[in-house]
Amino acid sequence: MKKYIILYRESIRIAFAAASTYRADFILQSVIIILSNILFPLMTWLIYGAGASFEGWTLYQVLLIQSVFTMSMGVSSMLFTGIVWSTMEHVREGTLEIILIKPVDCMGYLLAATFSIENIGVVFGGAVLFGVALFHLPVPNLFLWFQFLFLFLLGVLVMLGINLLMAATSFKWVANSRIPELYQSVLRFGNYPQKIFSKSIQAITSFLIPVAMVGFFPAAALLQKTDSKMYIAVLPCILFAWVGIALYKYMIRQYEGVGG
Amino acid sequence: MEKIITVENLSRKYVTYTRGSGFRESLKSFFRRQKVSVDAVKDVSFYVGKGDIIGILGPNGAGKSTTIKMLTGTLYASTGNIQVMGCDPCRNRTEYVKNIGAVFGQKSQLVFDIPPIDSFRMNKAIYDISDKDYKERLDLLVELLGLEDKIFRPTRVLSLGERMKCEFIMAMLHNPDIVFLDEPTIGLDVIAKQTIRDFIKKMNEKGTTFILTTHDLQDVEQLAKNIIIINKGEKVFDGSIDELKRNLGNKKIIELTLTKKADVNRTGETYDLGIEGAAVIAVEEEHKLTIEVDIDRISINQFIIRLAELCEFSDISIKELPMEKVITTIYKG
Repeated sequence: MKKYIILYRESIRIAFAAASTYRADFILQSVIIILSNILFPLMTWLIYGAGASFEGWTLYQVLLIQSVFTMSMGVSSMLFTGIVWSTMEHVREGTLEIILIKPVDCMGYLLAATFSIENIGVVFGGAVLFGVALFHLPVPNLFLWFQFLFLFLLGVLVMLGINLLMAATSFKWVANSRIPELYQSVLRFGNYPQKIFSKSIQAITSFLIPVAMVGFFPAAALLQKTDSKMYIAVLPCILFAWVGIALYKYMIRQYEGVGG
Repeated sequence: MEKIITVENLSRKYVTYTRGSGFRESLKSFFRRQKVSVDAVKDVSFYVGKGDIIGILGPNGAGKSTTIKMLTGTLYASTGNIQVMGCDPCRNRTEYVKNIGAVFGQKSQLVFDIPPIDSFRMNKAIYDISDKDYKERLDLLVELLGLEDKIFRPTRVLSLGERMKCEFIMAMLHNPDIVFLDEPTIGLDVIAKQTIRDFIKKMNEKGTTFILTTHDLQDVEQLAKNIIIINKGEKVFDGSIDELKRNLGNKKIIELTLTKKADVNRTGETYDLGIEGAAVIAVEEEHKLTIEVDIDRISINQFIIRLAELCEFSDISIKELPMEKVITTIYKG
């Protein structure tokens, strides 16, 4: 474990070094990433400003859900998303051997090596929105904060699972860049109050692909809107991450590379 | 000599897909792809002694890289047995790879945007190298490869030769017992090639075993103590360079410049000197001859005596049979 902490520290150092090499690109990328992620909650602002709403949900409650979703996306993009593109590239170009000859777990190494510093802005942007939304809502007690933290971490676990599943598919489905788009579309269900969806969509997004845990469930904890369904979803979340890890490791074992 | 690698009856089958050309075939393969089983490596056995430099040669697609991948533990064998330093590379890969290093001429381990020194630090963390060992080895390797301040410049601004030298540092910082080299001198100029060859020799003297795959026969001639040739997945030769050259018979190449036009019997494209065991293999400007002499049939001394009786010459050189010819003949089967 200590080794992976050191590896992570080195990877963060390298990410900073690379970012400082191309300063203009880093700043531009960070701004674009922040804008594309923050724009969505701002649209909610505009919708509510125009008099429309999600029935039974105030503007700041919806903003809270979307800010939690943004933070979760930011954390996931910073820590896990890089492995998807990196795996795709390694498999397509047959360069995974470079990692396989190192005395490290391939998945752990790739997760560390693809740390993306640019996405720290998304976490920060989400946190600002989170603060704004919370400022207009009743102050949660310590127990609600614990619930929130627990569910937020589970949401991050779901994101880990999703990213690893995407990365794992690229072993068999070489150069398939459309799969992440498909996952992104499914993920968006976590951005809204679950009550606005039909029962079947609620069941799918809670238990099958538990994306509700990415934004809605943790926010609902702070809003005191939890129900038993959210705690039942804990199991599928853990299972989802476990399947992602297991499938990725299985695909690594099956990896055959390309011609030399 | 103590064996460090033992390979017995190693085979590897791939399943791949094939399709014909043209729109119709593409459409057909879109719905139903035709599977093809490929024997990348067939029943290959060999061993490598500790401290050896082994050259693995073969034409493109012969199975060299597949063999190397199996030796490094990154690919499972279909059948057969591999023992490297007493363990099976595929089982407990993470432990095994601590003692090996690899340089891939066409795949970089360096991070492109940052100086190599940062990539070296990453390897220090990966291999748990102590600060003292890291400093000592880095200083030694940098000195041997003549890199000095280059390791502090971004990798992208380094020349190909400098980058390749940095790849060697990456592969050897943890002081591995065996280093796999896959075309380490590809695309390099003569000076960079020689620096790398000298470096390999020096590290070999310190006890490191090298497994080299290359198409550069100069690498093989200068470095390899033994050669394994793989063709169409099968081992077709395993022995020393001298044995390899003798594979085509004990032959020498004589380059001869005559004082006047060659007076040899010409039949179509072939020339006959009339000396048994000697064959003219090329004639240039009608007075420069290249002759292949089978010294098992006629000694060099006898050949020159006979030659002097037949013609006058102003220059003569005696060379070994070129490796290219030996290798090409073996590749063609």
